Amino acid sequence: MALCEAEKTFVLHGVEENFRIDGREREDYRPMELETSIVSHAFGSARLRLANTDVLVAVKIEVDIPFPEKPNEGKIEFFVDCSANATPDFEGRGGEDLAIELSNSLSTAYQSSRAFDLSKLCILKGRKCWKIYVDILLLECGGNLFDAVSLAVKAALWNAQLPLVKSVHVDGNNIEMDVSEELYDCQKLDIKNAPVMVTVCKIGDYCIVDPNQAEEKCSVGSIVVAVSGDRLSTVLQTGAGSLHPTTLVESMKLGHTVGQRLNQALWEALQQIPEDQDVGFLK
Amino acid sequence: MTIDHKRINGPEETIPYELFQKLNTKSLTTQFNECSKDGIRKDKRKTDEHRKIFITTGVVSQAKGSSYIELGNTKVIVSVFDPREIPNRTDYSLKGEIDCEFKFAPFSCPKRKLQQQDSEEKHYSAIMKQALESAVCRHEFPNFQVDIYALVLHNGGSALSAAIIAAGLALSHAGVPMYDLITSVTLGLQNGEKLVDLTLEEETLCLSPIADSKSHGIVVLSLLSTHEQVSQFFQTGNLTLEDVVECTHLLTKACKDIVPLIQKTLAKHVVKNVKESI
Amino acid sequence: MKNEPLLCLPGQRLCLSDKTHTSGQGTYERQGYIYSMLAGTVDIVEKDGVQIVEVHTKGEQTIVPVQGDIVTAQVYIITQQFCKCFIKCVGDTVLRRHFRGVLRREDVRATEKDRVEIYKSFRPGDIILARILPITEAHTYQLSTAENELGVVIAHSEHGHPLVPISWTEMQCTKTFVKEPRKVAKVVPENPKDMET
Repeated sequence: MALCEAEKTFVLHGVEENFRIDGREREDYRPMELETSIVSHAFGSARLRLANTDVLVAVKIEVDIPFPEKPNEGKIEFFVDCSANATPDFEGRGGEDLAIELSNSLSTAYQSSRAFDLSKLCILKGRKCWKIYVDILLLECGGNLFDAVSLAVKAALWNAQLPLVKSVHVDGNNIEMDVSEELYDCQKLDIKNAPVMVTVCKIGDYCIVDPNQAEEKCSVGSIVVAVSGDRLSTVLQTGAGSLHPTTLVESMKLGHTVGQRLNQALWEALQQIPEDQDVGFLK
Repeated sequence: MTIDHKRINGPEETIPYELFQKLNTKSLTTQFNECSKDGIRKDKRKTDEHRKIFITTGVVSQAKGSSYIELGNTKVIVSVFDPREIPNRTDYSLKGEIDCEFKFAPFSCPKRKLQQQDSEEKHYSAIMKQALESAVCRHEFPNFQVDIYALVLHNGGSALSAAIIAAGLALSHAGVPMYDLITSVTLGLQNGEKLVDLTLEEETLCLSPIADSKSHGIVVLSLLSTHEQVSQFFQTGNLTLEDVVECTHLLTKACKDIVPLIQKTLAKHVVKNVKESI
Repeated sequence: MKNEPLLCLPGQRLCLSDKTHTSGQGTYERQGYIYSMLAGTVDIVEKDGVQIVEVHTKGEQTIVPVQGDIVTAQVYIITQQFCKCFIKCVGDTVLRRHFRGVLRREDVRATEKDRVEIYKSFRPGDIILARILPITEAHTYQLSTAENELGVVIAHSEHGHPLVPISWTEMQCTKTFVKEPRKVAKVVPENPKDMET
């Protein structure tokens, strides 16, 4: 997306007047659409649409061996796939940098045990644990990917069903696990504190949240704040610009308050999803 | 980096034997208390004190610019090469690109590192690029790319900060136009204490929570000191907003403390060049 | 000019930017001040009553060719339509990395453009002087030799002996006296005063 100087000035003036090009205020989000349990082969899945951004997240769970340095913990890994469906730029290895940036930010945000407790994924210390694969597919890019991806990941993890292990037998080197045969006998993951990311963009002298593509082009610098509960789990700068320390602090404060609100809104939305819904895209 | 298939790589997974020693039985709290007690750390530093820094330029003769930094035990070598055409690009970019490669030498960490970049190294490369992008006058070399290679010879903690400082110095040693000198500092939080310039041991201890409600985490900040601009900020862990704000102030101050040293090293290099040309 | 050179470092504030001081090579302007962007020495050049503040590094400079520069290049491929070269020097600075350049048939000489034949003007291995044209295509510099002073300066005959210019279209082998067609440059000293002394 290319913008000329006049268009950039227009966006900038809108931000200054607290009346952005799509009519929002500086701290407003665009409407979102969230669906869960849409991929039947996955343990949990979610699709989030935020204006033109469309993200599909599926969670797969496998049995693995814990890291020797962390025998009590399970594993979680994030993979981002920038599909060429989203923009032709992603063709081949085009989206690789973006994918790495997104998956790195997710894994640092989930790193602390306060944000996501990996020790609950341990089956037998040092021998067996659950490994969660979170696969993120970008179907359409309309700006603000970090926020959309983190919300979708949280929803998919909420939706995920961890098989219930009834008992574990150790026989020499063999480990036998007895998994409950009842199909609906599952555990839910604890994601109350899973981080939600907020991108704060600085345009002119003001900071905004949820930038669309045009606004992303006008920003001089932006930071991503991952909020877990009332704490910050990750803050990172994106894009090429630099910020004054005071601006940095201001935008972190903004991200912090907005993140908590967003988290609350997501939680309420998740509670409204009925337990026994059908699986599939067309419900 | 492209994968070298002809190279005989070491084993894919190795486990350092230290993990199996019976030393790791102490709880994290006691380990941390040993590291920092009454504001004095294991190496007799105060909490806000830097380790001794040694930095020099011109260590790689074939590179356009290079520098070597020792931050306590951390040793990093950085080299910068001439601008070259951006590979695999068809459109014209008005601003030049910088390409960073951050690599731990296989023997630099307790765990053996592979020849290929792992995800941590890729992440660090991205952070380095982010930090340096706003320091370099990229409009001066449109459509070109400057390559920066950072190799950590010994990871004694704060390796990323050390690499960023050294890269800034190597860039101006190479004569790449820059808006400002760049400095970077790592800070760790644990159990209510804030430790500047972490050692490797402190770094690991700051990553997991030990006390019930207190913050823990690591913050890395890079600063362009003349214009007082934060060019890169990275935080991980679990911190309250107040903590992060306080860390930002501490780190800005700590970053400014190193600036005279960088200036001195660079001035030495310029004086040497001037003398040679007379 | 002072004897003691004035050192400066990147990001160092040099002076106010006003009517009498403007920012030149190696410096940038921000919020009314001139800052240095290199580690080097400060030079002040006076021009039309305005002092241009410049910063120069000693030793090698980071240089990329820009439009209008005279470059020294080596021809490596010739076709009917164009010849491809490696740019080796910009002005009198030798480049560490070579850049690719293309010299099209219509840019070989200024007159009778449609009668130019590349193989009668250049051969692979020739060292030429050329001027950089405005960049239209990413990644390759367009070159031109459509000036008397531009064209082949060093070349070797088919047998590998050096050629010497005998006219602006021909060169002769020093050993076999074979004449070969070339677009020969009229080499002029850059600074005529140096020649007198």
